[in-house]
Amino acid sequence: MTKALLARVFKSLRLLGALGLVGGITFLYFRVVSVNHVTVALTFLLAVLVVATRWGLLEALAASVAGMLCFNYFFLPPIGTLTIADPQNWAALFAFVVTALIASELSASAQKQAFESTRRQRELERLYTLSRNLLLLDSRGPLAQQIANQVAQVFELPGVAFFDRLSDRIHRAGPHDIPVEDSKLRDAALQGTVFHDAAARTTVMPINLGGPPIGSLGIQGTSISEAALQSIASLTAITLERAHVQDVATRAEAARQSEELKSTLLDALAHEFKTPLTPIKAAVTSMLSDGCSSPTHQELLHIVNEETDRLNTMLTEAIQMSRIEAGQVQLHRSPRSLSSLVRAQLERLAESLEGRKVAVEVPEDLPRVNVDPEFIGIVIWQLLNNAVRYTPPGSPLALCARTEGSEVVVSLADHGAGISEPEQQQIFEKFYRGKAHRDRIPGTGVGLTIAQEIVRAHHGRIWVESQPGKGAKFSFSVPCAPRESSA
Amino acid sequence: MTNARILVVDDEPQIRRVMRTTLVARGYVVSDARSGEDALEKLREERFDLVLLDMNMPGIGGLETCRIIRSQSDIPIVILSIRNAEKDKIEALDAGADDYVTKPFSMPELLARIRAALRRAPLASPGAPEVLDLGRTVINFAARRVTVDGTEVRLTPKEFDLLRYLASNPEVAIPHAKLLQAVWGPDYGEEVEYLRVFINQLRKKIEPEPSRPQHLLTEPWVGYRFHLPGKD
Repeated sequence: MTKALLARVFKSLRLLGALGLVGGITFLYFRVVSVNHVTVALTFLLAVLVVATRWGLLEALAASVAGMLCFNYFFLPPIGTLTIADPQNWAALFAFVVTALIASELSASAQKQAFESTRRQRELERLYTLSRNLLLLDSRGPLAQQIANQVAQVFELPGVAFFDRLSDRIHRAGPHDIPVEDSKLRDAALQGTVFHDAAARTTVMPINLGGPPIGSLGIQGTSISEAALQSIASLTAITLERAHVQDVATRAEAARQSEELKSTLLDALAHEFKTPLTPIKAAVTSMLSDGCSSPTHQELLHIVNEETDRLNTMLTEAIQMSRIEAGQVQLHRSPRSLSSLVRAQLERLAESLEGRKVAVEVPEDLPRVNVDPEFIGIVIWQLLNNAVRYTPPGSPLALCARTEGSEVVVSLADHGAGISEPEQQQIFEKFYRGKAHRDRIPGTGVGLTIAQEIVRAHHGRIWVESQPGKGAKFSFSVPCAPRESSA
Repeated sequence: MTNARILVVDDEPQIRRVMRTTLVARGYVVSDARSGEDALEKLREERFDLVLLDMNMPGIGGLETCRIIRSQSDIPIVILSIRNAEKDKIEALDAGADDYVTKPFSMPELLARIRAALRRAPLASPGAPEVLDLGRTVINFAARRVTVDGTEVRLTPKEFDLLRYLASNPEVAIPHAKLLQAVWGPDYGEEVEYLRVFINQLRKKIEPEPSRPQHLLTEPWVGYRFHLPGKD
């Protein structure tokens, strides 16, 4: 308010000054020096020109009218009257007015241009400062708040609001609270539209980098040009995007490290547990093979031996699961004969098969499969072991392999109780255990998950077909090895 | 072969204890070492017929110990390890081990492996040549010696047995399983990676150009074949 009052006082003073100048010239020529009226007119014209260029149109017009009146009254005959006898007086007045108009216009536009260019320069300097400050932000602190502070500080804005869409938080900065509702900031970011409020002198604009907006910026104050506003938005977007990219990279790295740590720990733990298992297993198998103890002792030793194996299997599964979960499964694939992979696993399970009949039907001319033998061995072992554990002792199993396009499909059919439709999907989930068996048969519920992950890593599929009461058929597919390759 | 002297190398006292008890009961003479360094010292002082070597030990570790032993001696080495990845097995065989047993193992299985490692294939079968002259490489079956360009090369017993079996059956493609059973023993047959490693080592030792073998040829998907020069 005081500023406006001051401006009005200045304006009045300048008007008085213009009139005073005209009065001064009149006094000079009327009382001090006597010259002809052309000189007087020219001097008045000069005065109008000066007033117009220095002070503006209103003052110049006042000087023109006053000059014309003085010229008429004091210098043109009949002197002492305001009568215009000669039409040349009209010409003088016209000349004064036109000069006033043109000169003030020219001067005003020149001043405006100068002001404009100064303003642009100032804006550029501020944008530069802002970009430099944004680059030097402390990446450990809350970034969005720092951005808002910087914008408010560098552009000396009364209020700034900054909405970061990723964290869904609004940060306000500046000496005054900007009168913009949170919802408007959110709308600008969601819809990508710009809101202007002339009355409150606020602008809310979305910030984006080509893609969908990543936030919005609300600014109070009208001193910033549209172009500068756009630049601020772009700078903010770049800063935010850069920070987000860094953040994502850091988090991914942290997650990877944590997974790695978890898997290393689990791996180490499982290995630690296997160390004491080794002398137990060695001792008990040694005693069993001596065969010199009583049948009761033999039976008890068998129990110790079997439970040692069970513990070992659980630890092996834990190790496998931790590796698979940590994405550490590195396949070393090479062309392999499926029948030898199957034979190896049947040999491993020979003891628990307890003479059960396993019909193996693998065609002689079956193409080699491009697999990691160790991991596909685990899959075959898992399927066979499950069949042994979950179907009645002595019931036959049938393992067959066939070519299907560029894949080999291996199936294991049993004569167990079968698996109900809803459970057929669930059994592949981690830790899921079939309802019928979970209380009777011990297990960890990760076996099929491991098998599934391994088959997937080979770009194959694993599935089960079953009708309750009619047994189940587990199948998996693996890619054939290219024809020309050799072992 | 009883009275064979076995060195058990493991940092776990309980494993050393159970091994000593069991092996002594089977008639072996057992000594033990708690680290690779300890084992190397014992090997310098005494003569052993076999080393049971744990892979994961503090200090120089099992793999490095295996390499050092192999660089100085052709004593059979059986690795004991908790890891059962093929990569680990191949690493151990590459370091010079003769066999690889995964912990925990059953004692009868380990005893079978020990017997296999100690077993030498019977000396030259009747009628087989005592010396096979391949030009630059000369194999003396009777003396278990191989020379290349007049220089003697050292083969481990298993390497020698493998070479002898192949050379005694020249120009025949011998399947993996048959080779394994002939050289390691009847309990073997699936350990194709053993053959890959051993054939590679043999090629490095006796082939003038190991990358382009002239004698030890791979029969894709079947096994290996020994080729005699001059029979093309």
